[in-house]
Amino acid sequence: MSSAVLEQFRRIGRDLFVAGVVSSHGGNLSVRMGDRIAITRRGSMLARLEERDVIETGLSENDANVVLASTEINVHRAIYEATAAQAIVHAHPPYAIARSLMCDEIVPIDSEGSYLLHKVPVVHTELTAGSKQVAELLPKWLKEYDIVMLRGHGPFAIGHLLEEAYQLTSVLEMSCRIMTLADGMGEQIREYRKGSERYETW
Amino acid sequence: MEVARLWLGGRGLGTYLALRERLFEVDPLSPENLLVVAPGPLTGTGAPASARYSMTSRSPLTGTLFDGNSGGSFGDALRRLGWDYLIVSGALDEPGYVTLGMVGADDASPAGPAAGFHSAGDLWGRDVPSTLARLRELYPRSEAAVIGPAGERGVLFASIVNNRGRSIGRGGLGAVMGAKRLKALVLGHGDRRPPVADPERLEFIVYEAEKLLKANPITSTALPEFGTAVLVNVLDRAGALPTRNHRETRFEGAAAISGEALKRDHLRRRSACRGCMIGCARRTAVGDQTGEGPEYETIWAFGAQCGVSDLAAVVRANYACNRAGLDTITMGSTIACAMELTELGLLPDGPRFGDARAIVELVAATAAGEGLGAELGLGSARLAALHGRPDLSMSVKRLEMPAYDPRGMKAQGLAYATSNRGGCHLRANMLGPEILGVPKMVDRFATLGKAGLLINLQNLNAVLDSLSVCKFTAFAMKEDYYARQLGAVWGETVEPQELLSLGERIWNAERLFNLAAGFTRDDDTLPPRLLHEPVADGPSAGQVVDLPPMLDEYYISRGWDEAGVPTAVKLERLGLLTVAAAAGVPPGRRQARGADADAP
Repeated sequence: MSSAVLEQFRRIGRDLFVAGVVSSHGGNLSVRMGDRIAITRRGSMLARLEERDVIETGLSENDANVVLASTEINVHRAIYEATAAQAIVHAHPPYAIARSLMCDEIVPIDSEGSYLLHKVPVVHTELTAGSKQVAELLPKWLKEYDIVMLRGHGPFAIGHLLEEAYQLTSVLEMSCRIMTLADGMGEQIREYRKGSERYETW
Repeated sequence: MEVARLWLGGRGLGTYLALRERLFEVDPLSPENLLVVAPGPLTGTGAPASARYSMTSRSPLTGTLFDGNSGGSFGDALRRLGWDYLIVSGALDEPGYVTLGMVGADDASPAGPAAGFHSAGDLWGRDVPSTLARLRELYPRSEAAVIGPAGERGVLFASIVNNRGRSIGRGGLGAVMGAKRLKALVLGHGDRRPPVADPERLEFIVYEAEKLLKANPITSTALPEFGTAVLVNVLDRAGALPTRNHRETRFEGAAAISGEALKRDHLRRRSACRGCMIGCARRTAVGDQTGEGPEYETIWAFGAQCGVSDLAAVVRANYACNRAGLDTITMGSTIACAMELTELGLLPDGPRFGDARAIVELVAATAAGEGLGAELGLGSARLAALHGRPDLSMSVKRLEMPAYDPRGMKAQGLAYATSNRGGCHLRANMLGPEILGVPKMVDRFATLGKAGLLINLQNLNAVLDSLSVCKFTAFAMKEDYYARQLGAVWGETVEPQELLSLGERIWNAERLFNLAAGFTRDDDTLPPRLLHEPVADGPSAGQVVDLPPMLDEYYISRGWDEAGVPTAVKLERLGLLTVAAAAGVPPGRRQARGADADAP
């Protein structure tokens, strides 16, 4: 693995923790490298990634390294199989998770979230972590949306680069914080966006 | 509808027809070659920057499959006539032109309803502006695509130009028209509206897309204010502006030929393709001449590449190309090649770097086929080979590379090497991620780790050329916007990933065409200078392109074998097994990591 790829993992991993969207040992990242995948080690700390914490293995075939890989590796593999993603970020942002417990889709009300996301579907499975169900369900949605929320667990975001997927994750959490703040104010929201009523159809 | 679902239109449809008609077996300048003219499903629908169309053929310059994509109004006119494509086949006995969709035309014409064949008369021999003007006199409200003297004479990089001065510029498709003795295609004014299944939904998505275009500084400010020439200073500062036939990567005269200088000294007004809100085109003037352009690639080709810092001369050379119907990139880079041959003593009495007068005169000589111009009209690869130094042609697959030096943008080198139509920035331009930070900034000097990014861009551009929409919109928009627009036109949900898969399919089909035509991994390369001559100084000092490992990574990521042939697994997934078999291309077999290790 090139030093440039490792540095991407380090920077994005640290930023995810600093932003408060993963716990000390939560979340996982991966990039696709042709017919190989580089993914964070199971139990690694995203804020403190070392070379040994980024595991390279086959995209479709296992090798010995798979014993070290993130528990979500099969979900990542399934997403790469079904989409043109080159990078995946999975995080546990608290405001977005809280909101996912109450709705079937998250439609941001702030400007940045509206521009970049329009709408984020919320999906659910009985087994949420690294399960076959998740591996079957999420890729279907990620063919149409670049970020999808797994209820009670967290979003999976895809991009051409880790930074892109991280941006979507960050924007979603910020939008959910704003929605929570606005909800708490208990006032009627004054709409400023033309056509926003159609965002639910995005 | 099945063909439309699999190939979309434009470039994709042209690829399908070129394979079906086995153009890989024909001489590009023979009557057997075809010229496929096709707009896309978004053309004329109101989608942003969608007034585009493609022309596809086998190129006389490269021998590859070649599609050119152009803006203007010609694509809209085709759709207003209700036509999804037309095929130009055979050749005329005498020079002529064809009218389509004219009221009162001969419905019994062999070219189909409302088509008419006409003798070219005194149009033959006229330059491009004069031809277009005369056709407008004859057929008010018509739209035409014409060739100039260069196309008539068979210059291997002759272009096809339409009424708004937009060109099918590269690859010599103008010579294909010329070989058919076809001066012009003239379209009457139709009143049909392109079908849109869900106009209300399309309006919503277009509104959202235009918000992004208005918010993005590239599409809302830089391109409208300076045109593409805004890139001269950007690339020069990055040490990626090829200079004097790629001997250097910075040009001391960059400021004098920059977009800022063009705006200050020559710009008269902005112009745009029909319905485009970006408006990157320029109406300019120099002395008593006015005209279209030049855009960035042209300024570079006649400027930095030839060592010329006289912007007025560059503008004149551009006008001369526009009149003759010549691709400015190949023209400028071929002159630069001649300049280096001259300085090495291999071309007696040839032009020298920095000779502003020469660039204008040599364009005219090339169009007329006079003197050195007759050799220049073959393009730089043949010129350099004629004089014993094929390595001095800055081309890939005989198509001259444009204005981005791969030693300062490593993945751009991979983009050139793997482009299905040769040295070209329009198959995929890594300018976005390597220089402008779109979608995000990557290390431009890094060799590995960018193949996947490039492939996605190549696949996306195959989609955009097939829809047909302008690639500049992709500075602001992601693939989901295009998918949603197409979904509204078709009246169903189109997933972005499905759209990218269609782009991948088109890319692989083009690859199959080229393999059938005899191209191999050896053709996926760069001029030796870029591989072995380190940049002397500037921001890219010491850099060369280490291509083999990049190519290996690219082939693996594409699902191709070590020779660059799509594997059976890949062909099956893309539904191209029968296409490959019909073209006589056996599936590739990847040897690495086990006997059955076909890449996914």
